[in-house]
Amino acid sequence: MRGFGRQCRGQGTVFVTLVRRTEKPLLDLGGSLATWAQEAQDLLHQTSHLDEARRGRLLRDLTAASEAHRHITKQSQRLTQGKALSQYKIVKAYDPTIAPIIKGKSNCPAQFGRKTGIVSEPATGFIFANRVPEGNPSDPSSVLPLLDKVQQALDCMASPKRLHVHSLGGDLGVNDPELRHALHTRGMLTIGMPTTVEPINPTPSQQEVRDILTMSGLQRIRTPHQVHLACASGYSRPVVESPIATLMSRGAAHVRYKGLQGAVVQMGMTVMAHNGAVLVRIQQQRLSKRGQKFRRLLGLKRYKSNKINDS
Amino acid sequence: MGIVRSLQHWLGGHGPHLQPAAFVPETHPIRLWADTFPWDAMVQAVAQSFAQRFPKKRPTGGRPSVSLRVLLALELLKHELNASDEDICQRLRTDGAVMYACGLPEVHADHAQAHFVFPETLAQFRGRIDQDLMDTLVAIQAAAAMDAGLVSPAHLLVDTFPAEQGSQRVTDATTLYKAQKNSSTSWNASASSVRFQARA
Repeated sequence: MRGFGRQCRGQGTVFVTLVRRTEKPLLDLGGSLATWAQEAQDLLHQTSHLDEARRGRLLRDLTAASEAHRHITKQSQRLTQGKALSQYKIVKAYDPTIAPIIKGKSNCPAQFGRKTGIVSEPATGFIFANRVPEGNPSDPSSVLPLLDKVQQALDCMASPKRLHVHSLGGDLGVNDPELRHALHTRGMLTIGMPTTVEPINPTPSQQEVRDILTMSGLQRIRTPHQVHLACASGYSRPVVESPIATLMSRGAAHVRYKGLQGAVVQMGMTVMAHNGAVLVRIQQQRLSKRGQKFRRLLGLKRYKSNKINDS
Repeated sequence: MGIVRSLQHWLGGHGPHLQPAAFVPETHPIRLWADTFPWDAMVQAVAQSFAQRFPKKRPTGGRPSVSLRVLLALELLKHELNASDEDICQRLRTDGAVMYACGLPEVHADHAQAHFVFPETLAQFRGRIDQDLMDTLVAIQAAAAMDAGLVSPAHLLVDTFPAEQGSQRVTDATTLYKAQKNSSTSWNASASSVRFQARA
C-alpha cells in the first residue's frame, strides 16, 4: 500500500492530538443516547395517533442517531501506530465513515481518509472494479466484494463467450488463509499472493505446478499454462503500483467531494477516465514489451477499440 | 435550480454553425479517449437509475433538460483532465474536442453566451449518482472492453491505496488547528506592534 511519506509529518502529529481532544465532548454528549433511543422507540410503538409513514420515518431517524454514536465509539477504540489510544479517535464529526489509515507507515503519523481497493489487469493496468469502503477495513476483507464487482462486469457482457477469473494476485496484506480457501472454492489460483517477502518464482517446474494445483484443489479446473501465467502475473505484482500512480495523477490522492458517496463518485469517475486512457494506449499499441507478451499469451486482440461504439 | 434547467441556447442560437465531429482531428487525444466509452449503454443506465430513484414528474413545457450524455461526459472529462467544475464547463463553451466528447453533433452558439452548462448543474448531477450506479457504469465499461477483446479478466491483481480526505473540505481538527494558529499569530503581531509603539 502506498503512503504519503514525509508530507504528513508535523501537522499530522498535531492533528491526532486535536482530534482526540475534539471527540471527547461528542462521546460524553452521546453517552446516554442508546437508552434514550430505546425509550423513544418503545413510546413510538405505543402511540396510536401517528400514521404508518410518519412512524417509519421517526424510527429510521432514531436508528440512524443510535447507529452514529455506536460508530463513533467503535472508531474511538481502534489503534493508532500500534498503540491503543488513551482517549478517542474521530476525524470528522459530520462524516463518521472516515478513518485513520495507518498501514504501510514507517515512523509517520497516521493520515485520515479513505482506502480505495482496485482490481486491475497486470498487462495494461485496466481496472475492472474499484471499491471505497467505510472506515479502514482490513485488506483481505475487501477482496471478495471486489471480485463480486468483477463478476457483475462479466455478467454485463453481450458476448456469448463466458470469461472467468483464473487467478488473483496481491501483496502480503491479502495473505489470509480464509481468503485463499474462498478463492479456491471459486476456482481461482492464489499463487500470486505471497506468503513471505521472498519473490514468487516466475518459472515454476512441472513438479511445482503440480504441487500448486494439488494444494489448491484445482487439478481438473485450472491448467498448467494458467498456473505459469498466474506465477508470471504474481511475480510482476509491483506493476499494480503503476495504475495507482496514474489514478493519483488524476487527483485520486485527495478526495474532494463530500462524504462517502462523494468519494465513491470521485474514485469511480477517475477509474473510468483512467480506463479510457488505457484503451487508447491499447488501440495505439503503446504497451510495454512485457505487457504485449502477456497479451499475446492471453490471446487478446491488438486493435479493435473503435468497435466499442459501433456494436 | 433543478437539475434539468440550464442554458440550452447552443442548439438553436444565432451564432456560427459548428460541427465538432468535422472540426476535431481524428487523432486528437480527447477524441480518441471519448471514442472508447460505450456511451449509449452508460447513458441508458444513468437514465434508468434516475427514473427509479427520482420519479418526480416535471411540469410540461419549459426549457428542455440538459442531456445526460453531456453531463456524464463532462464529469468524466473533469477527471481525465484534472479540471474543476468551472474549468470544464468553460472548456465546453470554447473547446471543440470537449464538445465532441460530450456528443454534441452541431452547435450554434451566440458569442455573448458565456456558458453551455452551469457548474452548479454538474454538481447536482453528481449528487444524484449513488454507489450502485457507479458500480454499474464501471461494469458496463469493463464489459464493453471485454466484448471488444481488448482486456481479459483471467489474471488479476488486487491492491489498495489511501486517499486523503478533502483538500477543500478540511477536517474539524484542521479547522481548530488553524484557528489556534491564527489566534496565536494575531496575538504575536499585536504584541509586537504594542512593543514597537512603546519604543517609538
